[in-house]
Amino acid sequence: VTRSRLIPSRAALTLTPAAVKKVSDITNRQKCQGLKVSVKTRGCNGLTYVLDYCDYAAKFDEVVEQDGVKIFIDSKALMTLIGTEMDYTSNKLTSEFVFNNPNVKGTCGCGESFSV
Amino acid sequence: MSVVGRFVLKTLHGHFKRLSQLVVDSSAVQQLKNIEEKSLRVTVDGGGCSGFQYKFEIDEKVNNDDVVFEKDGVQIITDKISLDFIKGSTIEFHEELIRSSFRVVENPQAEEGCSCGISFSVKID
Repeated sequence: VTRSRLIPSRAALTLTPAAVKKVSDITNRQKCQGLKVSVKTRGCNGLTYVLDYCDYAAKFDEVVEQDGVKIFIDSKALMTLIGTEMDYTSNKLTSEFVFNNPNVKGTCGCGESFSV
Repeated sequence: MSVVGRFVLKTLHGHFKRLSQLVVDSSAVQQLKNIEEKSLRVTVDGGGCSGFQYKFEIDEKVNNDDVVFEKDGVQIITDKISLDFIKGSTIEFHEELIRSSFRVVENPQAEEGCSCGISFSVKID
């Protein structure tokens, strides 16, 4: 009996090409290593995403590297974020990072806060 | 009328005038110039988690019941009904890492609404 090979783990977070471009723009401009995604208890549906500049991974943080950009995921946010696709949309009136999170059960009308 | 009385009247008049209008922040003017648009329409709609929500769109057409506020060559257009809900507020363009968008802030008519700043409920007095 041969032991099954370890299945290569999927990244905890994936980025769309638009998000990769925007993140690399931001990190180049700010001269930081990457961006850190965390969640905070706020908003009318429980949780909201928080984005920050980040230079090094704190203990237990997950680091996702894709196409040369680094995203740090806060250890406390990892369980709610796992499998999320991070997108960036921009038009004349708003430009924002959008998180397509498969774990979400409900969102606020404006889409800023969510519950898992 | 005394000088003081006239001063008080003038200040009060300015105060009430400000409360019946919209304040256009320079960040909103700058952003409209960046996207090469001259006018922005602000409307109040039903919806959102607090009852009402703000809506922004690019619109150059001015209708009969519209009110136009102009600053440094750009226009903020709103209709009379919406203006009743937002008079005295400031229109700004808020930039954050995660999201940049136009916002209505410091609305004297609104209770603290949703944290996203899009939806609000009206003060009942």
